[in-house]
Amino acid sequence: MIEVRKLEKVYPPVVGGLLSHNEVRALRGVSLSISDGGALSIIGESGCGKTTFGRILAGLESYSGGDIAMDGVALNSLPNNERQPYFRRIQLIHQDPYTALNPSHTILHAMAVPLRIQAKLQKKNDDWILNRSKELLAMVGLDPVGTLYKYPHALSGGQRQRVVIARALTVDPKILVADEAVSMIDVSMRLSILNLLSDLRVRLRIGIVFITHDVAAARYIAKDGELCVLYRGEVVEYGQTDEIIVRPVHPYTQAMLSAMPVLRGLEEAGPDRYIPLEGMDDFEGQGSGCLFAPRCRHATARCQEQHPDLVPWDDRLSSSSHHHACFYPIPRNVVARPINRENAL
Amino acid sequence: MGADLKVIGNADQDAQVECQIRDLTVIFTTDSGDFPALNHVNLDIIKNKITAIVGESGSGKSTLGLAILNGVAFPGKVTEGSVEFAEHGNVLKLRGKALRHFRGPVVGTVFQASQNAMNPLARVGKQILDLGRSHHYKDPRKLLHEAENLARRMAMDPSRVLTAYPHQLSGGMRQRMGIIMALVLKPKVLLLDEPTTALDLLTQSAVLEIIRSIHRERHLTTILITHDMGVVAEVSDYIVVMYAGRVVEQGSTHDTLRDPRHPYTRAILRAIPRLTGDLNRARPLEGSPPDLTQIPATGCVFRSRCSYRAPQCDLVAPLLESVDTGHFVACHQEGLIRD
Repeated sequence: MIEVRKLEKVYPPVVGGLLSHNEVRALRGVSLSISDGGALSIIGESGCGKTTFGRILAGLESYSGGDIAMDGVALNSLPNNERQPYFRRIQLIHQDPYTALNPSHTILHAMAVPLRIQAKLQKKNDDWILNRSKELLAMVGLDPVGTLYKYPHALSGGQRQRVVIARALTVDPKILVADEAVSMIDVSMRLSILNLLSDLRVRLRIGIVFITHDVAAARYIAKDGELCVLYRGEVVEYGQTDEIIVRPVHPYTQAMLSAMPVLRGLEEAGPDRYIPLEGMDDFEGQGSGCLFAPRCRHATARCQEQHPDLVPWDDRLSSSSHHHACFYPIPRNVVARPINRENAL
Repeated sequence: MGADLKVIGNADQDAQVECQIRDLTVIFTTDSGDFPALNHVNLDIIKNKITAIVGESGSGKSTLGLAILNGVAFPGKVTEGSVEFAEHGNVLKLRGKALRHFRGPVVGTVFQASQNAMNPLARVGKQILDLGRSHHYKDPRKLLHEAENLARRMAMDPSRVLTAYPHQLSGGMRQRMGIIMALVLKPKVLLLDEPTTALDLLTQSAVLEIIRSIHRERHLTTILITHDMGVVAEVSDYIVVMYAGRVVEQGSTHDTLRDPRHPYTRAILRAIPRLTGDLNRARPLEGSPPDLTQIPATGCVFRSRCSYRAPQCDLVAPLLESVDTGHFVACHQEGLIRD
């Protein structure tokens, strides 16, 4: 069980020079929890802080405020060197399997580096490293003997991503953080990688944090888990995946879901589908109001002035976990529906 | 155009062909042999419609886009075939000045990752003027005026974006600037290679909406090259599915999506997770995407991943044949797949 409480990340301002910029608040008090073997999908646009969140979870980035608790141990209370074993149990899978593997090292080499450290800790010999590599590659659906002595260039994108996942498994992680893990993989291979992640979740009880802008992939991974919508470093809606998709109440969630392409001929667009054209470049909302207000077509004077907090949505039909940050929560039906046909695929 | 040429959209009586590709073959010569990136591709691009060319990496879709511009570069070489444009003849025969006046004023192109193609040291407006100069555009003020109109049309503030340097614009804005640069010379054909790949979902849907409305307003013929079935379904009128350098299925988007006849098209549609409906229906596609170095010389290129494989598929490459009005499929087993 991992609990993230009010996580803040501020990138300090850079003064002077070509690259000067103001202070960037990447995360503004994000609270989430991931149970053992659970699944959580985080969706949002680029710049919403979803990658920063993943990197902080994996210990690759510091945080400016808040706390992370793992199995009840608050990491803030530990000295740096004692935090490391905790962060090791959260492994990050990058977007780009082409740059995640060193092109001049064989797959065995890539696998053996982390395994050697494990072998030392667990007092195992070199045979164990080889056997464990084979075992892990088989687990991710690769042919161990055929893959082990290959270089990354000899593998396809999907196979490389499997190697990256196998390498993440060398340290027996509790949680895999997959940051856009399938967006660079060919369409025909994506589903099998998603299936692999779900499979590892069941077999090894590894929790999956799936970070993406593809809502359908997010739903696929977290079908029995939770979906979290981030906007400019804030959670704007959170709850059971299918409930958020069928009954979104935050206008930003509704915009994200509307943006999913409709497979015309197979599906019909939801009746409330709306694609905002205006304001797509006005990211810098000013003042104390709702961050989404400058782009929101339902915004009122109150939204410009006050900031809505994340509150449970008290509606008869909703589950208790459904939270939103909007003054005017109205469910809208924006997602496409499949058209019923006898000759369905 | 010749009378013996089939028009893919012949369900529509008024369909006119803007660009006609016949037997187009492009060979890449490498140290380990010659590989066909395109293998006898036949295609009609219908005037004033959006045709989407869809395929995975290695399907030859980008090579096809380059061949339409007569831009296939070494080690690739067009060995056979023609690309005929109405009023311009065979583009593959154009050279020098004639070719330069074809690329841009006739076919406006937005290349893959073109949001990074702008000169980082020059303001966007200046780059548009440069574009006009290299095409001997007489009236620079008119050109800028046109660019301003287009920018406004694409929900951007012209006074801001035209005076900005590329790094001051967001990815979505640069992508739209790329489309403006392709359209500012008023071409009649717009060629878009992966126009939304690096964009967010929200920006993607807005850019697609803009592409669709500008296409209609300016009576363009649009060719959209993409790997994303969703993008295809959202904007296109016609769809061309490519696999390993061959066209495996083509037809109107509506018919093809509703009733896909090629095993590859069916499998790829089933491999996309959807937002609603039963998730267990999604099935991954076995095997790996086509690798040009391992495409078999004889037989069907898709057979190693196909669940309908028959002995015939190993021996003879299936031809693209009509299965319905304006719907073409290259598969021996097509009749069996229906049931």
